[in-house]
Amino acid sequence: MEQEKLTFEEALGRLEKIVSQIETGKVSLDQSIEKYAEGVALIKQCRSILESAEKKIQLLAKDQGMALEVSGELEDAPEP
Amino acid sequence: MAAAKLPLFDPLQPAQAGEARNDGQPLDVGTRNTGDKAAKSEEPGNGGQPLPMGIGATAAKKSRRRKKSPVGSDITAAITGSPSDRQGGEASPPVPPPAPAKMLSVSALIARVRVALADAFPQRVTVVGEVSNFKLHSSGHMYFRLKDAEAAIDAAMFRQHASRLKFSPVDGLEVVVQGRVDVYDPRGQLQLYVEQMTPRGAGALELAFRQLCEKLQCEGLFDPAAKKPLPRFPRAVGIVTSPTGAAIRDICRTLRRRWPAVRAYLFPVLVQGDGAAESIAEGISLLDANAAKFGIDTVIVARGGGSLEDLWAFNEEIVARAIHAAVTPIVTGIGHEIDVTIADMVADVRAATPTAAAELAVPDAADVWRRLEAMGAGLRRWATELLAASSAALRTVLRSALFRDPTSGLRIRHQRLDELSHRLRAEANRSVSLARRRLEPMGGRLASLHPARLAEAARGRMDRLAARLAWALGGRNKRAGDLLAVWQGRLLAAHPAHHMRLAAQRLTAAQRQLEALSYRGVLRRGFSVTRGRDGTILRSTGDVTHGDWIDTELTDGRIQSRVGKPDEATGDRPGQADRA
Repeated sequence: MEQEKLTFEEALGRLEKIVSQIETGKVSLDQSIEKYAEGVALIKQCRSILESAEKKIQLLAKDQGMALEVSGELEDAPEP
Repeated sequence: MAAAKLPLFDPLQPAQAGEARNDGQPLDVGTRNTGDKAAKSEEPGNGGQPLPMGIGATAAKKSRRRKKSPVGSDITAAITGSPSDRQGGEASPPVPPPAPAKMLSVSALIARVRVALADAFPQRVTVVGEVSNFKLHSSGHMYFRLKDAEAAIDAAMFRQHASRLKFSPVDGLEVVVQGRVDVYDPRGQLQLYVEQMTPRGAGALELAFRQLCEKLQCEGLFDPAAKKPLPRFPRAVGIVTSPTGAAIRDICRTLRRRWPAVRAYLFPVLVQGDGAAESIAEGISLLDANAAKFGIDTVIVARGGGSLEDLWAFNEEIVARAIHAAVTPIVTGIGHEIDVTIADMVADVRAATPTAAAELAVPDAADVWRRLEAMGAGLRRWATELLAASSAALRTVLRSALFRDPTSGLRIRHQRLDELSHRLRAEANRSVSLARRRLEPMGGRLASLHPARLAEAARGRMDRLAARLAWALGGRNKRAGDLLAVWQGRLLAAHPAHHMRLAAQRLTAAQRQLEALSYRGVLRRGFSVTRGRDGTILRSTGDVTHGDWIDTELTDGRIQSRVGKPDEATGDRPGQADRA
């Protein structure tokens, strides 16, 4: 539930922490099931982020103030 | 200085001076005028360098007057002035007296010199020399002296031209300048009005590049310690480049190939030509200022390959400053591998090309994928090992006696309990049998005293009596025989148990009766027994004589007394007393 809000970096960071804890044997037996479940969930989440894809490049333009706004999408440049 | 200024106050001269300047350099008038105020303000402290303020002041006055004076007078002055100047110029060596009409004012002289110069140098001149005494005025005009080993000439480069210079002229720099030669009226000095300048040897751009490098280096804009690392996994990337160039196409393709999850925002800018540097700088600043709004955590500044001139905007100071001011990490990819711009040097990370910049901006998903796989495999292996180790441990525990035969402990305890209870029972039995052994003899004696036995014995005795009776009667006395039969029948009819109970009751009754009949009971009722000396119970007064000792037994003791004489007391008394 909380994990849904993690960025890829945070998710991967936690995963790396879990793996390193495991490698250094710092996980107690009663934590192990919890850690394993969390690790598997994090891997799943990282994969789903990796598999998502942004198709277009968004074009920005200045609005009235100094702020930027999305004004459209860049047409796909033709592949040579 | 005062002398130089004199002509300005001559009411006769302004029109001429104005017209002369007008002819020679009409374009410069406006420019000079704009620099006027700034030049004036510095006038008092600028004694060592009269040139700037002189020009400024002169130009300003001329300009003002030119506006007021009618066009006609300018033409007239030009027509009248021209021939006489020329004659005067030729005639100046001879002595003045013969031709007083040919006397020239200083201004007229200068005007004629100007015309002569214009004739001699109708085109712009190109001059090679070394810059010295260089001054950049706050107005943007440059003043310096161009010299070689033998000669020198004052030079001015006004802002409209100076602002196009990519490099900054410095003293000692060999330059090639293009411009016009003219006379500076207030001082009557030759002056070179420079319109273009290029450094000699190196190109202007190279020089400009070198100069900006040095400057920014000194300010610490290239400091490696100040460079920010790019985030490992950017959520969104901002791109500053042309929307139509090859760079954006390369970047798009690279981002999609390596990290499709990243969002990309393009702020389209001019990447070459006038205004390109400003456009790029604005793009960087705007993206940086709006980074949080779009989640942008890396900015790519890019341009495809091109000539040094094409890439020049990325060598401009304004771009360098914008990159340096940005909080968001910036990666540049400008031109080809060999091109290094100042923007590249200020950037947090420099990539050789736009494609390389995109590669540095985002990680390769394939690598990350492999890492994830490896971590997943590690996790599974660990879990499997853990499971195996746990089951092994469990098996060990299960193999232990307790788990293999969970009731063995109980059984042992049961057994022990059995043993103890057995011993207890044995012990108890022993005590009981011991007691019984001690009881048994008593039991035998008791049994002999049992009422049933007694009854039986009594019956035996009765049988014997009956037999003796039968024998005594000779068996002939029928009545006696019948009586015996009745006795026998009654005896036989009696059930042994009933008999036993009856016998016991009778025994008890008999005992009570016996007790009641005992003389002691009589004594308790107040009677007494009197015995003689020999212990025989006295039953008659005749059993004693006077003087005998008698012993009277009462219920609680005995009294010894002596029988008295009959005359001494009533003779009956002792007997009566005895009875009482």
